[in-house]
This record gives sequence, structure tokens and C-alpha cells, in this order.
Amino acid sequence: MSLFDSDDKAFSRRHLILVAAQGGLFAILVGRLQYLQVSQSETFSTLAEANRVNINELSSERGRIRDRFGEILADNDQRFQVVLVPEQAGDLNATLAGLQDILGLSDRHIRDLKRRIQRAPKFKPIVAVDDLTWNDFSRFNLNIPFLRGVEAKVADKRIYPQKQASAHAIGYVGTKTRGDLQRIGNIVGDTVGRSGVEREYQELLSGEPGVRHVEVNAFGRTIRELRSRPGQPGDELHMAICADMQKYVTGRMEGHSGSVIVMDVENGELITLVSTPGFDPNEFSRGIDERRWETLLSHEKKPLMNKAIRGQYAPGSTFKMLVALAALEDELIEADEEIMCTGKYELGGELFHCWLHEGHGAMNMTQALERSCDTYFYELALRVGIDRISEMARRFGFGSITGVDLSGEKSGILPNRDWKRANYDVGWRPGETVITGIGQGYLLSTPMQLVVMTAALANGGRLVTPRLLRQNGAVESRPTNTDAEALKVIQLGLYNAVNRPGGTAYASSLLIDGQRMSGKTGTVQVRRISQDERKAGVIPNSELDWHLRDHSLFVGYVPHDKPRFAISVVVEHGGGGAQVAAPIARDTMVHLLKSQRFGTKAAPDDGKSGDPVAHEQVS
Amino acid sequence: MSQFSTQTGRGYFVPLEELNRPLLMCLVLLGLIGVLVLYSVSGGDMSPWAWRHGVRLIAGFGLMYVIASAELRTIYNYAYIFFIAVLFLLIGVELFGTKTMGAQRWLDLYFFRVQPSEFMRLALILALARYFHSVHHADVSQPIMLIVPAALVGMPALLILNQPDLGTSIMLAAAGLSVFWLAGVSWRYFLGGGIALIAAIPIVWQNLLEYQKKRVLVFLDPERDPLGAGYHIIQSKIGIGSGGLFGKGLAQGTQSQLNFLPERHTDFIFSNFAEEMGFVGSIALLILFAAILVLIFRIAVEMRHPFCRYSVAAIGFSFSIYVIVNLAMVMGLAPVVGVPLPFISYGGTSLLTFMAGMGVILAMHRQNIADLPH
Repeated sequence: MSLFDSDDKAFSRRHLILVAAQGGLFAILVGRLQYLQVSQSETFSTLAEANRVNINELSSERGRIRDRFGEILADNDQRFQVVLVPEQAGDLNATLAGLQDILGLSDRHIRDLKRRIQRAPKFKPIVAVDDLTWNDFSRFNLNIPFLRGVEAKVADKRIYPQKQASAHAIGYVGTKTRGDLQRIGNIVGDTVGRSGVEREYQELLSGEPGVRHVEVNAFGRTIRELRSRPGQPGDELHMAICADMQKYVTGRMEGHSGSVIVMDVENGELITLVSTPGFDPNEFSRGIDERRWETLLSHEKKPLMNKAIRGQYAPGSTFKMLVALAALEDELIEADEEIMCTGKYELGGELFHCWLHEGHGAMNMTQALERSCDTYFYELALRVGIDRISEMARRFGFGSITGVDLSGEKSGILPNRDWKRANYDVGWRPGETVITGIGQGYLLSTPMQLVVMTAALANGGRLVTPRLLRQNGAVESRPTNTDAEALKVIQLGLYNAVNRPGGTAYASSLLIDGQRMSGKTGTVQVRRISQDERKAGVIPNSELDWHLRDHSLFVGYVPHDKPRFAISVVVEHGGGGAQVAAPIARDTMVHLLKSQRFGTKAAPDDGKSGDPVAHEQVS
Repeated sequence: MSQFSTQTGRGYFVPLEELNRPLLMCLVLLGLIGVLVLYSVSGGDMSPWAWRHGVRLIAGFGLMYVIASAELRTIYNYAYIFFIAVLFLLIGVELFGTKTMGAQRWLDLYFFRVQPSEFMRLALILALARYFHSVHHADVSQPIMLIVPAALVGMPALLILNQPDLGTSIMLAAAGLSVFWLAGVSWRYFLGGGIALIAAIPIVWQNLLEYQKKRVLVFLDPERDPLGAGYHIIQSKIGIGSGGLFGKGLAQGTQSQLNFLPERHTDFIFSNFAEEMGFVGSIALLILFAAILVLIFRIAVEMRHPFCRYSVAAIGFSFSIYVIVNLAMVMGLAPVVGVPLPFISYGGTSLLTFMAGMGVILAMHRQNIADLPH
């Protein structure tokens, strides 16, 4: 019995210590539970939610683009894709083998895909197979449960039904890249406008992204959708351009390299903007292959370049109106004052030739514009001086971008004395003023600048901002502060140039419902003609290499009496302005006037219509 | 002898009224909670775990009743034999065992697979209790008297460590040492052992397997490997924490239902329970565990024989450290050592061992007046 009694106390003490220790540990556990489930509950709830919920961005439909009459210029279609997240695939090779098996992919495709996977971070979804047929896509969807780390995705495909006709105006979209993200920040959807209106109005077109919350398990597999907010589709754009005109002009320019722009002289809406040769924007939205891209880039006629805003040409004779305006404004000549043209003009021992070898004889201002007499404008330019010519040209938009809603516009070159000194470190020579008088020399302008200038001459002196989008409400314009009477003289000259026998563009005159075209040709030399060649006879364009031929230009407007639409046509190395550019302008305007969709046929019944100047002259 | 005669008239099994009613009821309740949690873990389905757990519980309660009906003398007599038998099983595992998850813990006995390391816990306690029962209190701290019990603890602990199963090995050693402590072995040994252990840490560290080192490192800083080894702890804490005060409801725990929680039906089952039942449910479960322990400790102090005292107290202690270590582990307070939560975690041998232990306690409580040799 002593055994029981002697260590009873000892056992109780030891036992108590053991129990107390366990009690203490239990207390710690309760404290920990309290910490996790009460104090920090919110934090952990958030973490659990973050575990459970994946937030996916839903791309919203990109806005369609329509022409001024509602015809579709850019549309959307579905494009079926297989998207792969490498880190979720587990055994990547098994997944790839499965994909290859199901979709019959080539070994090369798999090799390329592996290379792309290696280059990208493992958590980033990559498009493994693009543009699947519906059949392949269905088969893939059936097999998704057997493939780890892949998802089906329906992406947007942009379609341009007009193909190349509106390529430069509409532009195209491409798959967004890191560069795009850096350029414009967050981009909604998978594609981004790369050029043209698609790029300019990217934000309007892309809309607001939607959000989808999905419950995922630990392997990232979607269990169910919790909630989603659909995106706001992008705005539909209504363009000023007319699909029919685009198509017609593109066809008319077939074989030519250059641009045609038709613009509303009042509000700057661009009815037509064609740059040729063009390209098929569908190739780009599909993802153009490298070889095709190289071909387009290296092509002699630069199909990717939008010549309407990026082509820079000496304006040639289309510049003469501004020289005349400058002279009238400074009262250095009267409109009816005559200057004698003998075919040659001498200044300081240097000889300048009129395009008409034998000379025009005595010319007043309207006649000089009508016949495009060079000698008259040599003389005028010298009287006015380069700085005043330059100043007038600046008022008509030369030397700065027009502000059209397209990026990449060039500003051309508008020289004066300061410019020469700054760029060449030598003074201005009087001979340079002479050739500036006929739009040659350092002068460079874009077809867009020419159409804006022409519109200003036609609309009473307002410089409008060209717009590819339909304009409602206020129109941006800038006064050129030119005298109305002086403009009348110019307009008469332009009318006669097209409509009087002997006018340089008489062959391109038109008459539709009493509406005629006024305009001015321009022929721009791109090579120097030597004295020897002049003696032997100037080589005709047809015998020169393409790139040595003259640029052919024409600017004008219709109708002559109540101008509505201005046009500029530039045909690179096309030859004489009268032979190539003017007929294109005529055909374009005929097509426009005949289509009768532009409200140009309005009967002139308010008594005041019918330009008094014009009518006098025609008769 | 008188006790023997009281049983002859009624056959082997004793009437249920003779067993400790509160303890029995608490255990039944705990078992039912285990079935419920496993039902919930599988998304509200009896398969694959809940119904098997139920079957095992019934079998376990059967075993418990068999043991509770056994004579105290029989238990005492078989203590060493049982120990030696389980030791052979452990050696058998070493030689013929089945490997799962890189460790050799299972012995395939054709009809079912057992984990002898779990049985050893009870066998060791009974063997040590019997040993110290016979040692006079005054002699208990003599080094020579400690050689045999040290061997009793050391042999199986090293075998299990070699499987390798660090968690079970430590738990076994702790259960064994608790008997040393209760038997009155001088605290100097414990102090010395503690110091020796701290001194041995670098050596032990050298001999730890890569995954064991990783577990310890990750316990110290789970964020160092959030998708690898730290994943268990982080996800488990998120599960418990996001349960909040009242939980997400049965089968509604997103952490476990969506597979974020690994081992959610075995070692990490409490995380699922706490996520779905909240703070209130977790505290209720802790209270139930505590109640069972208090009942066991009360029985322990009532025991007349040292064999019974040591056995009951050590079985209770072993039960409680399993609960404590498991909970500490899933709450991020202890390294992940692979210790199940008694009666709740899915797993056969562990459950059977705990129930057999409870059977021993019930038998001792029932026969406190019976005689034992000294």
C-alpha cells in the first residue's frame, strides 16, 4: 500500500504540470483562432476571394465605320482562336501534342509555338492557333476537358469590304503590341488601330471594356461565372468620304501613283481621299506575313504611303494664284495690266523660259492664269519679292500641316529669306524668287495643302480644316484676309483656264446641269533641263524613265458659280498637268455631280445664282 | 479473483452502463463531427470519404468496446507482448513495407493495410506504464533503471524516423517521455535532455531530408515559397481566416471546395472545418476536445494503480498533443509535420489507435478496484 501513498502527491504534481501545459497550449490555439477568424478575417476573406475569382476583361465590339451614305467601310467578324497559358498546362508537351492531334497542326507550327512560349512569360496567355475554321473550333471545344491550360476564344476580326479603295483613309488594325501599350496606355480589346481613321479614332471605336468575374479552382480552370458587366461597344463612325467615289477614283487612278482629294469647301469634309497604289487592309488585320510586308515596303510607288498627306511636291503652276493675290494686295499690278511674254525672261544674265517656247504675247492677269504663262509670273514674283509671296502662301496654309484628322501629315516647305539663311547659310538669290513665282524651287506642298488652298480661293478666303469624319455643328476655319475683288479676278482666271478655248485645261471642261469646273493645271519638273537639251529640243516625258518624268497636278472646284467641292489631283511623274491630272479631276467631278447624292443639282432659282463673272466670260 | 467471477455470468462483454458515460458520448459526438466534415469536404457527398470514415468509426467503437470489456489483468499481462508484436510489425515495414509519397509506412496485410507506427503509440505507453509500475518511486531516477525504458522509446522511434516519418516519431517519443515524467523521473533528466536536444539541432539539421528541411524553413517563412512548400500553410490560413465569425456554411468553403487547400481531408481538415463553421464552430470543437481531455485527466487522478495512472494520463496527453500540434500546424504556428486531427482526419490506423486507447481508459476506469501485481 505504501506504493500508492508515497508517490500519490508526486504524481498529482507532475500530472498537474502536464495538464497546465496542455491548457496553456489550448489557450494559445484559441488566441490564434481569434486572430485568424476575428481580427484578420477581412484580410483573409479578401485573399480567399482573390484566390477564387479571376477577373477577365471582356473586349467590346469595335465600332463599325460607315461612309457618308451609310455604306460599311469597316466591319467586324468572329475569329476563332486557341489561347494557351503555358504555366497552367502542366505537361506542356502533352498539351501541344493534344492540340496537334486535334487540329492537325504542322510540325513547323508546333515548333514556332514552342519558340514563342519560351520567349513569353509563363503566365501570359498566348494565341496558339489563330483564325480556325468553325469545324476545327468545334472539335477543339469538345476536347478542352482533355487539354490542360488551353481555352477557346472568340476574337474580333476586322473586315474592310472596300479593300484597297479606302485603305489610306480608313487605315487598318493590328494585334496590339507592347509598343502600342506604351504609346497609348491601356487598350481595350485585342486590336488597335494602326493607321488612318482606325488609329486616329481608336478611343471612340474601341468603346469600354466589359468585366467578367469567374470562379476558378486551384488549377485555374473556370468553375462558373459569378457576374459580368458587358462592355460598351465602340462608337460607330460616320465618315465624310463616299465609298462610291472612293471606288470610282481608285479605278480611275489605276496605273498611276499619286493622290486625289475632294473636299467640301465650306466645312472641310473630305468626300474622297485616295492615294495610289493602295493595299488591301484586310491583309493587315489578318496579320500580314513578312515577305508581303517587305514587298509593299520596297515597292517603287510606295503603296503604304498616304501620298495625300505625306507626299510632298512642288506645287508648280497651281501656286500662281497666290503670287497673283500677293501682287494685287500690295498694289504692284492692276488686274488688267499686261506683261509681254516672249517665251524667255532674263534676269542678271540668267535666262528663264516660259513653257510655251514661242511666248504668249501680251498677258493680263486672268489671261496669264488661263494660259499659265510663266513669264508673267516671273515678272510678278520679282515685283512682290519672296518674303511677301511666302507670307501670302502661309495665309493659305503652306508650310504647316492642315490639321486633317490623320496622323503623319507633312507640312511641306515654304521658303523665304530667313529660311534660306537658316538652312543653307547663304543669302536668297533673285533667280530663286523668279522660279518660286511658278511654284518651283524650294517650295514643297502636300496634296492636302493644295486642296485646302483651292477651297479657300473658292469659298471667299476661308481656310478650312479638312475632316474625314462627318461634321455636325461648328466648322473650324481661319480667315486668309484676302480682298474679295482680288479673289474674283483669280476665280475668273481659273474659270477661263478650264472653260475657254486656249485655257490649259480646256480639254477637261465639263458641263452638267449648268455646272462647270474651274481649276488650274500644274506641271512640275523633277529634273534640270540643260541649255544643250533646250537647244536640241526638250526630251518628251514619254521618252524619259518614269522617275524622271514631270509630276502632273490639277486643282479646281465645282460648281464654278457656287463652289461646293474642291479637288486636288497629283499624279507622280504623270507628265503634263493638262494631259493627265486635269482629265482625272474632270472625270472625278463628273462622277460626283452625276451621282446627284450630294445635292449639287439644286436649281439656281434664287435669281442671284449664276456667277456674273463666269457667265459673261462663257458667252 | 473476485473480479474474474463477476464477469463469468454475463459473458465477455460488460454492460454499457459500466462504462464512463460522458467520455463515451463525447467520443461518439466527435466521431459524428468527423463524418460531417468529411461529407462537407467532398462537396456534400458521403463518398469518397465520409461513409468509409463512418464504417471505420463503427469498427473502432467495436474495438473500443472489446478492449473496454477486457480485464485489467489481461491488459497488464499483454502490455509487453503487444509492444514486441508491434515492434516486429515496424521491422516488417522496414523490410516489406509499401511506399507511398516517398515514405515507407504501410504494411500490406492482404486484407487491409496498416500503419504500425500508429499502433506503437499505444503499445509504447502501456509497456512503459507497466515498467514504471514495477519500479519503486525512490529508484525511478537511477540511471540504471532508465536503460530499459529508454530502449523501449528509442527502438521504435528510430525505426519510424527511418521510414522516414519525423512527425509520428516525435509524437511517439513525446508520448513515451510523458510516462517518464508522470512516473517521477527527475526533472534534471528532462532539463539535460532539453539542453542536449538544442545542442544537437545542428547535427539533426544535417541529417534531415531535403523535404524536411524545407518544411521547417517554410514554416519559419511561408512566403519564401508561396507556390511550393509554403502553399499549404498560406492556403490553410486563408481558409481559416476567411471563415470569419460564423463560417461560410457546410460545403461552402471556397478554399477547400476549389482545391486551393491541399490534404483537405486528412491533415488539413480543420482548415476546412474552420472555413465553413467559422470561429464559433471552431471554438465549439476545441471545447469538445478539451472536455474529453478533462474527463481523461479526472479518470487519471482517480486511478489507484500506477500502471493505470500512467497509462490513462499518457494516452490523454498523447491525444492532446495530436490535437494541439495538428491545429498549430494548420494555423501556421508549427511546421507542417503530418500529424492528423484525432477522430476527424480521414485515416484508418490512426483512428483505430485512438479508439483502442480510449478502450484502455474505459477498461481501467471500470476496474479501478481490481488488483495488479506490484
